[in-house]
Amino acid sequence: MTAVSPPLSSTGSTPVSGPITLTLPPIATMVRVGRLTASSIASLCDMTVDDIDDIKIAVSEMITVLIQSGSRTTVTLRFETTATEFSVEASTLTTSNDLGRNDLALAIAVLDAVADEHHVASTDDRIMIRIVKRLAPIPANAASLTRS
Amino acid sequence: MEEVGKNESIRVLLDEGTVIAEGDIDLAGGPLLDAAINRVENADRLIIDLAAVEFIDSSGLRSLLAASRRAESRGTRVVLRRPSSGVVRLLTITGTTEQFDVEEASPA
Repeated sequence: MTAVSPPLSSTGSTPVSGPITLTLPPIATMVRVGRLTASSIASLCDMTVDDIDDIKIAVSEMITVLIQSGSRTTVTLRFETTATEFSVEASTLTTSNDLGRNDLALAIAVLDAVADEHHVASTDDRIMIRIVKRLAPIPANAASLTRS
Repeated sequence: MEEVGKNESIRVLLDEGTVIAEGDIDLAGGPLLDAAINRVENADRLIIDLAAVEFIDSSGLRSLLAASRRAESRGTRVVLRRPSSGVVRLLTITGTTEQFDVEEASPA
């Protein structure tokens, strides 16, 4: 498991200005690691507790699908925030682009409910899932202090 | 009360035929919950206490739904006792609440 720079800002609730990537081995216990990492990053973005819970659920679904559908290679997550959204892109290698071999319906239903956007795509050798959670507007007088 | 399964995600106990799950029911925790359910599944009424569940995702929900389907085939239903707010939310957003008898929902 590796975390890649740039490091988080240390200025309180200032969101991350660059992407953070996390690479996980494809084992079940790593779902929790990915979920808690996502929660930690999201907590820096002025998100509500409910929004952070949504992200934990979404990331758990993403990693689970990729572990179950992939070719038992590492799962890579890329977290990124902007002034308006928090996004997570997760991918892994696969030997088949047939996502239908696993029952994705329940996971997709959950992503529908907890993310503002989600996309699932596969090619011959890779499966990718991306989710977006939009950030609630912050008061104008606080914007200059908390978001760049 | 007997501890019947434990790993990094979940701790599962049996108490007079009631399955008690504590922690996270996810890809790692689901199989331990499955194993505990299988031990008591022939009881007239399968009760799963979910008050101490801190997190659940669709892989955990699949364990509960599978138990529900097997219970229905035996002419009975699964009781989810004191589901935590996270469990209630997942049941709600997936439209699966009606698959279970829910008792004493915990406050959110």
